[in-house]
Parts: sequence; C-alpha cells; structure tokens
Amino acid sequence: MTARLDRIRSFAAATPLAGWLGFQADESGDAAYRLTFQEAHIGNPAIRALHGGVIASFLELAMQAELAGETGGPASTISLSIDYLSSSRPEGMTAHVRRLKAGRRIAFLEAEGRQADGTRLVAVARGCFKLG
Amino acid sequence: MTSGVTSSDINPAIGGMLRSARDFLAHEHSLFRTLDLKPILIGKGKATFSMLMPADFAAADGSVHGGLYTIILDSIFGLAVFTALEEIKPIATINLRTDFVGLIAPGARAVCEAECEAVNSDVAHVSGRLFAEATGDLLATGTGAFMVGTKGPIGGMRL
Repeated sequence: MTARLDRIRSFAAATPLAGWLGFQADESGDAAYRLTFQEAHIGNPAIRALHGGVIASFLELAMQAELAGETGGPASTISLSIDYLSSSRPEGMTAHVRRLKAGRRIAFLEAEGRQADGTRLVAVARGCFKLG
Repeated sequence: MTSGVTSSDINPAIGGMLRSARDFLAHEHSLFRTLDLKPILIGKGKATFSMLMPADFAAADGSVHGGLYTIILDSIFGLAVFTALEEIKPIATINLRTDFVGLIAPGARAVCEAECEAVNSDVAHVSGRLFAEATGDLLATGTGAFMVGTKGPIGGMRL
C-alpha cells in the first residue's frame, strides 16, 4: 500500500459519510474512487436514479480524499458546483479527480462521475477547497 | 405540507402530490426518514423545511459533512420547483452550486429555505439557504437550475 493510499483510507475511515456512501479508493493510484450502490442512495423510487445530492456528495468526498492523499492534512470545501449531464442508474459510480490548481491555502479540483463501466458520464463537479 | 403550512395558492393537484410525497418521505424513504423532515412553510414557489443532522453524515472533524448540505439543498429546491408549477411534471436537476459557510454538529436541527425565482422555457431557477435552527447561523447558500418536463415518469422528481 502506498503512503498516498494509506492517507486516503485513513481519511475515509475517519469520515462517517464515506461509510454511508460505500466510498472506496481505487488501488491503482489513478485518482479513482468508487461509490458502492445502496438503496438509500435512490432519490425518487419512481425513477430509481441516484439522488443528485448523493452524487454531489460522492464527488466532493472524492476531491477531499484526493487532497488528503496528497497532503495528509485537512481540506474544507469552500464551494462546489455540479452539472448533471445524464440521468443516473441504480448502480455504483466511479469518480476520477483532476487537480486544476493548488496553492498554499486554496486548491481547485474537478471530478467526473461515471456509470456503466465508465462509458456513461453522469456528472461533473468542480470544487474549491481551503487547505490546512 | 400539512394544511397549516401549505399556502392555498398552490395548484390543488400539486398540493396533493406534495402531501403524498411528505408521507412517503417521512415514513418509507430510508434517506429522508433519518432526516426527520418537518415542513415550516409551503407556498407557491417557496419551501421551508426543518430537518435533523444525523451522525451518519459527519465529516472527519466531527461536524456534519457538507455533502449533506448539498443533499438537502437539492431536495428542498426540487420541492420549491414543484410548488411553482401549474401542473404535475417530472423535473431533474441540471446544475447546483453550494457555498459552504458554517458548521453544525450532528444531532442538531437545521432549516432550509428555498425559493423558485422563475420558470422560463422549461427551466426553473432556484436559490436558497441552510441555517442552524437553534441559532440562525448560516451554514450554506445555494443556487440551482432544474429541467421541467423531463422524459421521466410523472412524479419523476430528483428527490
């Protein structure tokens, strides 16, 4: 286990929301994260799609985890914007995180949420985080 | 969504749907049941709810994670859109922005106020805020856009 993955797992273990989301870090070290589907993640049972807020929470947590893996220190979210590009399905989701810019105090990251084995781009989120 | 908090300017069909949604969310939906949602004000284009901040949604620092703020804002924004409609149509979130301002401890209650500012060309624009019920301290503000009349089933709201 790399030090980075160790820091991410420590962050997730200390975050109850990560447990509720079934949050996991990909061992490939590829800035990839996974939401494990549970029925509680459904918004409206009539359409059986993931709740939009659940998707946003997952992508926000993935970006925080990425920062935790890099720095090991805390990062609090200043703002989060999310665009929903496709309807979601009642299944897990993967996130890929990209660091746009990180200074000493502020970092900007972007996360893509995909389903259907990565072929379906469901949402894109961009977050601004305060470091330390 | 009880008679005491529901404005008479809401379309009756929409009001009936909201009452059904209230009963479902309060008793059967596993996520919203844990939030103990209580309506404070439901008017045309307006929705205000009080809710519990469960410990399951805590962050690493012990406060409530901002992810729950976004879940709440998305949900109450959607209800505000429904109250603004003249007929029942499915809706879906197009985008949402959350600004995180303050922290709240698990076990406390928060209030979410949402207002549907306009519905133009099948797009509803909503804004709102989340604050601590006991102190009034601001927790977050948000703005969002929702598609009205999606291809989903009737009642296909993103809750």
